Amino acid sequence: MNNQFVFEGRMKTLYMVMMAVGVVCLVMTYFMDTQPFHVRFWSNFLHNSVFFTGIAFMAMFALSAFITAWAGWFSVIKRIFEAYSLFMLVGLVLMTIITLGMWLHWHHLYHWADASTLDPTSPNYDEILVGKSAFLNPVWYTVGGLGFLAVWYLFARRVRSLSLAEDNDDTGLDYTYHKKMRVATAGFLPFAGFTACAVVWLWVMSVDSHWYSTLFAWHNMVSWFVSFLAFTILTIIYLKGKGYLENVTAEHLHDLGKYMFAFSIFWTYMWFSQYMLIWYANVGEETIYFRHRLDNYAVLFYGNLIINFVLPFLILMRNSTKRKYGTLIFMSIVLIFGHWIDFFLMLKPGTLQTAQHAAHPGGGHHEGALGFVSGFTMPGFLELGTGIGFLGLFLYVFFHHLSSAALQPKHDPYMMESVTHHT
Amino acid sequence: MASGKKEVLYALYNDETELFSAIRAAKKAHLDIMDVFTPFPVHGLDDLLDLEESRLHIVGFIFGALGTLTAFLGMSWIFTRDWPIIFGGKPYWSVPAFIPITFELTVLFCAIGMVVSFYTVCGLGPGVSNEVLDDRITDDKFCLAFETNGKSSAEIDDLKGFLSGTAPAEVHSKTLS
Repeated sequence: MNNQFVFEGRMKTLYMVMMAVGVVCLVMTYFMDTQPFHVRFWSNFLHNSVFFTGIAFMAMFALSAFITAWAGWFSVIKRIFEAYSLFMLVGLVLMTIITLGMWLHWHHLYHWADASTLDPTSPNYDEILVGKSAFLNPVWYTVGGLGFLAVWYLFARRVRSLSLAEDNDDTGLDYTYHKKMRVATAGFLPFAGFTACAVVWLWVMSVDSHWYSTLFAWHNMVSWFVSFLAFTILTIIYLKGKGYLENVTAEHLHDLGKYMFAFSIFWTYMWFSQYMLIWYANVGEETIYFRHRLDNYAVLFYGNLIINFVLPFLILMRNSTKRKYGTLIFMSIVLIFGHWIDFFLMLKPGTLQTAQHAAHPGGGHHEGALGFVSGFTMPGFLELGTGIGFLGLFLYVFFHHLSSAALQPKHDPYMMESVTHHT
Repeated sequence: MASGKKEVLYALYNDETELFSAIRAAKKAHLDIMDVFTPFPVHGLDDLLDLEESRLHIVGFIFGALGTLTAFLGMSWIFTRDWPIIFGGKPYWSVPAFIPITFELTVLFCAIGMVVSFYTVCGLGPGVSNEVLDDRITDDKFCLAFETNGKSSAEIDDLKGFLSGTAPAEVHSKTLS
């Protein structure tokens, strides 16, 4: 059995080229930006950093949930979860750049980070933001965003090192590694559950600094989770095509497909619950979020629902589509793109409004029709190129970690159950 | 059954691994298995018996779609034509408010439709009594059954010999009316 993945030079070059494309696009965006405060550049950077870091976080979350739930079926693909979760270190670097930018005033992504909003003598003075300033402030952004992410990464590293130590135990009967892993993951779950919400509020929700929604953090996490499942499915099919992972069968893909189907429905449930409650209550300060998107981003707004709900619902409903490579590959690619668009739609309108508002202080909020703004109304080539760059980085780090350990854990106590798994 | 009575020779096994090896042996000997009965769904049994995929889910989809249409068109008709009422200043045709009920009727139609279809196809339902080979196949025994209608006694003895070679707990024959 070929149990050691080799990260070929050819693939490294490919990911390097993708990263180069990303860097070129980022530089071009920086200089071609027509909007104030280079907001197109910074919002692209934030969008992709949040998207891929979140996927790595969800990899760790899923790994922990499965280990805590005594799940045996996924042991043959556990290394994929581990390798994805370790991207959090790179995510930490990316988010550090955003955080540094906040302290050094490189960008103006978050309206609340502007100190003049808290100053009663300034025309920017904003009572609502004063009320939120105990949480929405640069210190919390640093401690919460970076601190929590760092702790998650430490948990991921701990689980990874235990998993590798288990491989090196030649007796194969020492279950203390697994017990320690269970303790670590059981500790991670409640910590991550609470802190991830706070991190989502800081990173994503607070770009619309006046608006808030209780469901928002769950909606984000499900979006990350579906993307993570899609990445896992694509990775498995890729590795099987290369002759690796011979113990992974259609049964494992079927289960992952079911997860992807179920969580696409769950995403819709979150999305719709948030929308319907706000629509029903009809409170102006809440409905403005959807009004703004319906007026200026209608194609993405409805497209988001079609890509992330209608397509997976109809395509993945049948038994056979969750077992065939073709439909799984198609659906995974569509869903990764769809959830990338979902984050685009969560971040872009708020960041653009913030930048325009800050460029015209005291000018009031610009409601109503915006017209077409390149890089915001619709992702352009620069957005796609930046996304490809980050994707290259993400996959490079992933395959690097995947190649540094055996593909199938050697002494996982659940391995037999996983190999003979049958849905 | 058109032929009326059905003669059955069956073996009972204590667990599914024994049942599985018996089925494999029967397939290898090219014997026609009438049916297999287990107290609970056993993983891998459908594949082993080469059963074709159930079409119940297609029925489920059709009933579900029927539920979606019933709920959505029904509410649309009621709230715009039949009895328009303004709720909380919303328009008569308030799609978001219809979604939860549409979802619920979809699930309801789908579930009831599948249960009724399944019972009809299997000849189950209130007042129907089907003869059972052995009561213990709903408890702790795994049963492998062969039809012996029109078989000579020598062939039946062969079959019995085959079954006793697969380590069964018991072998019986029974005539079902």
